[in-house]
Amino acid sequence: MKVAINVLQALALILGAPLVRGVVARFKAFLQRRQGASIWRPYSDLAKLFRKEDLVPPTASGVFRVVPFVLFGTTICVAAFVPLVQPSALLASGGDFFLFVYLLAMGRFFLSLGGFDGGSAFGGMGASREALVSSLAEAPFLLSLVAVAILASHADIAGMVAWTLQQNIFNISAVHILAFTSLAMVVIAETGRMPVDNPTTHLELTMIHEGMVLEYSGPSLAWIEWASAVKLHAMLALLVALFVPWGMASSVSVGAIGLALLLYCAKATLLMVLLAVIESGMAKLRMYLVPDFLGVASAVSALAVIFTTLVKR
Amino acid sequence: MGLVEIATGKVLSSFSVFLFLTILLLVVARRISTSVLLFSVQSAIIAAEVFATGFRERLAEAYVVGALILVIKVVAIPRAFFSLVHHLKTSHDVNASTTPTQSVFIAATMIYLAYAAVHSYGQSVHVPEDALAAAVALILTGAFLMVSRNKALMQMLGLLVLENGIFLAALTTTFGMPLVIEIGVFFDILIGLLLMGIFTFRIRDTFDHLDVSKLRRLRG
Repeated sequence: MKVAINVLQALALILGAPLVRGVVARFKAFLQRRQGASIWRPYSDLAKLFRKEDLVPPTASGVFRVVPFVLFGTTICVAAFVPLVQPSALLASGGDFFLFVYLLAMGRFFLSLGGFDGGSAFGGMGASREALVSSLAEAPFLLSLVAVAILASHADIAGMVAWTLQQNIFNISAVHILAFTSLAMVVIAETGRMPVDNPTTHLELTMIHEGMVLEYSGPSLAWIEWASAVKLHAMLALLVALFVPWGMASSVSVGAIGLALLLYCAKATLLMVLLAVIESGMAKLRMYLVPDFLGVASAVSALAVIFTTLVKR
Repeated sequence: MGLVEIATGKVLSSFSVFLFLTILLLVVARRISTSVLLFSVQSAIIAAEVFATGFRERLAEAYVVGALILVIKVVAIPRAFFSLVHHLKTSHDVNASTTPTQSVFIAATMIYLAYAAVHSYGQSVHVPEDALAAAVALILTGAFLMVSRNKALMQMLGLLVLENGIFLAALTTTFGMPLVIEIGVFFDILIGLLLMGIFTFRIRDTFDHLDVSKLRRLRG
């Protein structure tokens, strides 16, 4: 029964991912006083792309073709690590948070390879920028997870969540606040959101993610777009699970699971509103300022790790 | 246990973390207006701390002090700063001599140093270690802002942050100074701010800029 729920919550993470994108876009449209597209729009976009023809540049090698599948495969593995409605996950016993971080890194690595292999100037530029951003984001990503892991004395994400569930909701420590701050900054950088990358721009000299996928079309593009939506959803779900897991189902019953699902939707919606506010309220950083942004995240996460010694004493 | 007690306990236990966050944001802020807003937020956190202490220790004077902080440091001084920036017609940049990454690492080191410095003291006299460390870190940050920012306005802001730290140290170790002295200190701050405001206008009129790193020679 528990396994069935784990499978279902991983499926919910993957299938609900385009909806997250749609909702964020809708909130942004609302904040900018536009009408905005329907929140189901990303699904019809994906369906349209899957029906189209797949065009491959004549200069591209085999790497270009396998990239979408590798990216999607690693991303759904990542999604299977994140607890949603109960403090366990499908791959919880399969690896710790290091595997989580580096599966994401592997997907990014292949996506950058695809960007280079496509042969366009924008692809190479986007890929080299992605390499810069992700190498700078790796330290705060790992360190903030390490801080929470030290507190919980668990290396797997489900164990960390289970530990946090047992704490009093009022007993938030300095470590949690600092780790949340730095992880939220990492989420923004990793998923290519506003102060670091503009997800809505095309054919500009500033784009990172859109530059890499410029040569992809049809089903390949659909897999990549879906994977990046799953990545955004998994990161948001990770924030919810690590820092505000209260309300997750401790027993396997329909009522508890339903309540946990409702609460998760509420918490995730709050995060999406926050994301939309940040995206609408901030201007994109110049590329030279992105290392500063992530440097701040690194310092905050290092501080979080240092604070664990103070809290545990 | 009532809701007010829980809220009081929460304020006392978590405010130092938020102070550390304001410190980290303050050293990376690139605009004067952002820094002033952060100072205002920082003072509001300290005012909440004063109210919470007053409630817990049953001190009526603390409410007066807290109200004074709200009026002077949260509202009046930031407003004065904004009008100063407006009238000086200077650029909004703080002219930092360190990059944000360097600044934030220096600030993180200072926070750790603050903890190391108060550790033995906090255990012997039974004062909350987090709060005292936050106070020391605020003092260090204020001094750091004063030496690392070249815009004359940031020297004023650094001094105010430093003063916040001294106030917090007094509050955590002795539940605040007597009311008369507090009022005297607030008066001092206001007069000091007035004088420094006049000085910045004089610097601007004499040198046509506000960059203190270029003030090397005497000029008649």
